[in-house]
Amino acid sequence: MKRLRPLATGLIVAIACLIFAPSAWAFCGFYVAQADTSLYNEASQVIIARNGDRTVLTMANDYQGEVQDFALVVPVPTVIQQEQVNVAESTIIDRLDAFSAPRLVEYFDEDPCYLPCAECIDADPSATIDRLTEESGGAFQSPAEALGVTIEAAFSAGEYDILILSAEESDGLETWLQQNNYQIPAGASEVLGAYIRQDMKFFVAKVNLDEFDQSGYQRLRPLQIAYASPRFMLPIRLGMTNAQGPQDLVVYLLTSQGQVEVTNYRTVEVPSNLEIPLFIKDEFGPFYSELFQRSYDQRGRNVAFLEYAWDLRGCDPCAADPPSLDEMRQAGIFWLEDDLEPWEFNVFITRLHVRYTRDKFPEDLTFQETNNRRLFQGRYVMHHTFANANEQACIARQMDSYGGTLSDGEIEYLRQLNQNYVAHTVPERFERESKNLARLTGRDLSTIRRRISAEVPQPQPSIWQLRYPPQLP
Amino acid sequence: MLRDARDYQILFLSLFLLLGLATRDWTLKPAAIGVAIATCLLTQFIFSVIYGHRSGSASVTSDLQLPAAVLRPPRWLSVMTGLRAVASQPLTRRSPLISALGLSLLLRVAQLPTMALAAFVAIASKFICKVEGKHFFNPANLGIIAALTLTHDAWVSPGQWGEEVWYALIFIGAGGMVLKRVGRWDTTAAFLGSYALLEAGRNLYLGWTWDVWLHRLSSGSLLLFALFMVTDPRSIPNARPARLIWALSLAGLTFILRNYFYLSTAVFWALFLLSPLTILFDRLWQSERFNWKVFAPHKPVVG
Repeated sequence: MKRLRPLATGLIVAIACLIFAPSAWAFCGFYVAQADTSLYNEASQVIIARNGDRTVLTMANDYQGEVQDFALVVPVPTVIQQEQVNVAESTIIDRLDAFSAPRLVEYFDEDPCYLPCAECIDADPSATIDRLTEESGGAFQSPAEALGVTIEAAFSAGEYDILILSAEESDGLETWLQQNNYQIPAGASEVLGAYIRQDMKFFVAKVNLDEFDQSGYQRLRPLQIAYASPRFMLPIRLGMTNAQGPQDLVVYLLTSQGQVEVTNYRTVEVPSNLEIPLFIKDEFGPFYSELFQRSYDQRGRNVAFLEYAWDLRGCDPCAADPPSLDEMRQAGIFWLEDDLEPWEFNVFITRLHVRYTRDKFPEDLTFQETNNRRLFQGRYVMHHTFANANEQACIARQMDSYGGTLSDGEIEYLRQLNQNYVAHTVPERFERESKNLARLTGRDLSTIRRRISAEVPQPQPSIWQLRYPPQLP
Repeated sequence: MLRDARDYQILFLSLFLLLGLATRDWTLKPAAIGVAIATCLLTQFIFSVIYGHRSGSASVTSDLQLPAAVLRPPRWLSVMTGLRAVASQPLTRRSPLISALGLSLLLRVAQLPTMALAAFVAIASKFICKVEGKHFFNPANLGIIAALTLTHDAWVSPGQWGEEVWYALIFIGAGGMVLKRVGRWDTTAAFLGSYALLEAGRNLYLGWTWDVWLHRLSSGSLLLFALFMVTDPRSIPNARPARLIWALSLAGLTFILRNYFYLSTAVFWALFLLSPLTILFDRLWQSERFNWKVFAPHKPVVG
């Protein structure tokens, strides 16, 4: 018998933070600098809550540069008005991440020889336009019409100044953005043009420094946009315009019926439910990073990975507590009524992890909700051996519990149990774990075996250690 | 080697299914495939018996008969005759098998009864939705639409085939062989060609590079549809001009549904909506109806 002990939350690493290589341009839109400030943008994280045509998009902000240099351009399917924009709390993304991240679970072997007994809103759009005009030295407003750029809406939300632009020509939009100190990467014009002709609008955000200073927040909070559109997609092409290498995107999709999948690329599950050696406990982040990179390479670098798919009514084992009703609302879920009990939540979460490059992902991501309610989690299992499994100790323990009398037959039986555990169960599992780890990460098999000998507590004398001495020969 | 073109089709569909099971790590369940095949065959059998019996009794009544009272056979004899009629019913296996394989390839279900429903609707439609002896819905397509609309349990996964060129080549090669045998390659060519043109036009208009266009077209599901579903010779117009116009309309409707209504299941809806038009097209263009050719050794001529 084995007992399951889900590890403490601390062990379940918020993988996303650990594994992503820094990249200058990311996200469905792009962050643009107004000066040559070094930009550092880790993985993009997005929450999409969708029911019917209505969508709430939350874009996490892990922008690391100077706040005054921050600017964001995102294509959106409709004009967004002031009341459709909200600034969410950063914690909600961390919560969903912790809840859905690939997890490590541990089991403890029991004694093998055992005899059974019995927010803030700026109300006046013109004030925003005026201020932006002033800040940009008058360049902001005047040439817009001439360039075919229309400011559909202008308002503030929290620490952000937001404009919704529509444009007739990509050149005009590019010029306007440049004139207004949004330094967009070269080559963006072509992509902007494609969005313009699809009648998409542009959500443009900058930081209002006064508001930001007053707010007292250390980092920029996620922007949240609500809109109704039949298009269930995420534009990634703009962010690729000037990308140096692959970019990571983690999308948390919250829907009412079932799992979401990508319709124009394959959706593939990350390898899961595999036994791995105990020493991975202290390096789970790097382990998952290697595993992900290897799967990404093996799958041809053109698939979306499913890391988690679960009904939010419960989880077992839970990597973190399931989100409360209030947290679900913060994440953009709008279809839950008040006074629902947790088991009445019709919310399904899908966590997709996409590592994309321009050559392998020519199209924006489009999604569909399916009726697939199958549960999936990225889960890795490790076992603690019962280290005190030796024959004398085993018999002595059992004699204690049986008051000092055991028949010869019972002693022989216990010997066999112990022998079986030491000679078969443990080494065979070590072998499985070694091969799994080698296969998942591409690490050297003999090094793994020796590390098990050196680092994993095991019953002594150990067949495994004799076979694979801890030191290299 | 194989006597019937449909044998090739069955062979290739099974090959793709095995390929999918082995390499595409789908949510494909062998049990669902089993249910689809069993239900299709069973439905075909039951409906053949019912319809066969009807047509059989019709032909009997046309003959000269003695008064029933005189020659009323004993009850056991009539039961035996009935059973013999059922047993002697030529069991059509190929067509329901093709429908079952098509459903297994394209439709995903969470519960097995949903697959059974889709399979039943697919085969039943062949007997029920008939005009002048020709069924006008593509059976597997109707099964998919029925499962999508009548249950909250089914979905199609257009992205799951991926876009690897290798797969595309297998599809095209295998499909081409089948089509050559069947003689309806023109429909596939017209459909794929016009769809590719429409997408190319859109690509030009939007200013995307051509890899976007290629990516949109090299979807395994689209090719599977174009090669194995749209070409079912029994449910498309008989005359070539009619087939070409029909394929063009199908491409146009698919294009509109995909790009303006953002339906991921656009091809299936387009085929479903356009299927009834085959009746109209057949009236407008009179042509000989398609019959499956059997490449068999010549039967001895009797009499």
